Amino acid sequence: MSLNEARTNAAHDAVRSLVAAKFRYLTPMTLTFMISYIGLTAVAGFAKSWMTVKVAGPLTLGFALIFFNYILSWALALIYEHVANKVFDPLAAKAVAARRESMT
Amino acid sequence: MSITLVIFSCILLVTLAITYWAAKRTATAADFYAASGSLTAAQNGFALAGDWCSAAAFLGFTGLTALYGMDGAFYGLGPLVAFCTVLFLIAEPLRNSGKYTLGDVIRSRMHTRTSLLAAITGTVVVNFAYLMPQMAGAGVLVQLLTGIPYNLAVIFVGISMIIYVAFGGMLATTWVQIVKAALMLGAGTIILLLALSLVHFNPLSFFANVEAKYGANYLAPGNYLKNPFDQISLGLGYVLGLAGLPHVMTRFYTVPDARTARRSVVWVMFLAGAFFVATTLFGLAAADFVGQDAIRAADKGGNLTLPLLAQHLGGGKGSFGGELMLGFVSAVAVATILAVVSALTLSTSSTIAHDFYANWLKGGKVDGKREVRIARVTAVVIGLLAIALGILAQGVNVAVLVILAICVAASANFPVLILSLFWRRFNTAGVVCGMAAGLTSSVILACIGPAMRGGDAVWPLVNPTIVSMPLGFLGAVLGTLLAGRDPDNEKRFDAFLMQVHTGVSHD
Repeated sequence: MSLNEARTNAAHDAVRSLVAAKFRYLTPMTLTFMISYIGLTAVAGFAKSWMTVKVAGPLTLGFALIFFNYILSWALALIYEHVANKVFDPLAAKAVAARRESMT
Repeated sequence: MSITLVIFSCILLVTLAITYWAAKRTATAADFYAASGSLTAAQNGFALAGDWCSAAAFLGFTGLTALYGMDGAFYGLGPLVAFCTVLFLIAEPLRNSGKYTLGDVIRSRMHTRTSLLAAITGTVVVNFAYLMPQMAGAGVLVQLLTGIPYNLAVIFVGISMIIYVAFGGMLATTWVQIVKAALMLGAGTIILLLALSLVHFNPLSFFANVEAKYGANYLAPGNYLKNPFDQISLGLGYVLGLAGLPHVMTRFYTVPDARTARRSVVWVMFLAGAFFVATTLFGLAAADFVGQDAIRAADKGGNLTLPLLAQHLGGGKGSFGGELMLGFVSAVAVATILAVVSALTLSTSSTIAHDFYANWLKGGKVDGKREVRIARVTAVVIGLLAIALGILAQGVNVAVLVILAICVAASANFPVLILSLFWRRFNTAGVVCGMAAGLTSSVILACIGPAMRGGDAVWPLVNPTIVSMPLGFLGAVLGTLLAGRDPDNEKRFDAFLMQVHTGVSHD
């Protein structure tokens, strides 16, 4: 294996560790909103009576969960932005640097 | 009526001035398709909100909530959650790996003309399925809101969008969307404050009031979507379909880098999300203050709920404040339609001029000036076609097309896009089979379902995504596996990954 090939492989490895980091964070985050939201539609479809239980004054569980999903989406968006800035961007910069080395 | 026309004329003048300004700054292909990637995150966030909130969102969600309770609130939530998918998986990779279109992404992954053709098909089908009901809806709504006859309204909307797109390209389209989003959010804020002021700023009062008026069942799910699977299918359609709508996704090419694309999604999630949650409260407030009977009397489908609520909050029918609010909200509704149809026209003309003409037909060897000229002409042709289809669609049931647009996006475009970005073995045969399976199953199931055939439906679900989306994925995977391995394609994947996740291109 030539030096150039080794450097190219190093660049590819750097990208793969970025992708791995993304999967590590994004799999649980994606599952969270999918289960929370699709789960809510399933409960609305199949367990209607749960949705009409009162949780706070006139507010029903169904509407409370709908509002919860809004909050959850916003929270996940902010978490994602934070993680992307703090974790993904530095890893991406590393991959770009490794690639630049492989080009020289 | 006349107040609506005066306010709308002002909006129209502003948008035309924007178009004049934008036209002078639109010369190259990058200008025309993507405003040269020059937008800030906040600008793109507002434009995304303008793009994504169609008249269905602005008027429809409020009406559905007022008439059917909780099911309307589900219509509001889905479009926000959908942006989680876009933010996590789609926005930055798209920004990094494409130039102007969905076709660019597929082409830079597969390097084949066949896969490009599949991407063009997905784009054109989804855009037209979305555009035609928007035109028909525009005709009906403008007629309801201003009294202008249906055909004239369709022609007017069509000509306006042709002017925005053909002359001002992406820059004009973007600013039309920003103006519309600002007006929509402004109108929403005023209505929300006025409505809350009537219940001492306790939104829970709306729930107590409507329950007292319409009974506990009104706040239960299933009043609009009777079949439980439809509830889930609608949710899936939203959550995966948004990422497959080319006219929204092209917005990520208007920002300079992935970081700005990311930030712009966070902007739209707060802007549009706040508006969506407000539509639920507007619906309950309208059911409380205006009453379901008055809402149904004005329009069976409840599309006039928000204007009627605005009129009530402004001081009621006949009062100056009431008519002013009615006029303002109606004018914003028309502006909403214009912003959405413009984006659809631009996205369709981009795929035809850039993907089909420049890259498919000419193999990328096209003079930029010529490509822009073709894109402009295509925009005019698409606009005229949309006008003709809109006029033909009068009185025809276009509900099936609305469902089809989001369903095809979720079942054909989304699987192909996501597998292109993340699966090393995915190949051209997979693209073609995935697109074909998602597209045909969506079309067939939508056409034999209740949206098309009413009581005679052979297939029980209004929205077929819950079946067609897995079929799209299945087609993509089977096509890939049956075609056998393609070592060159798999070897290139490392370089593609580098581009997708860092934005640094391999050549």
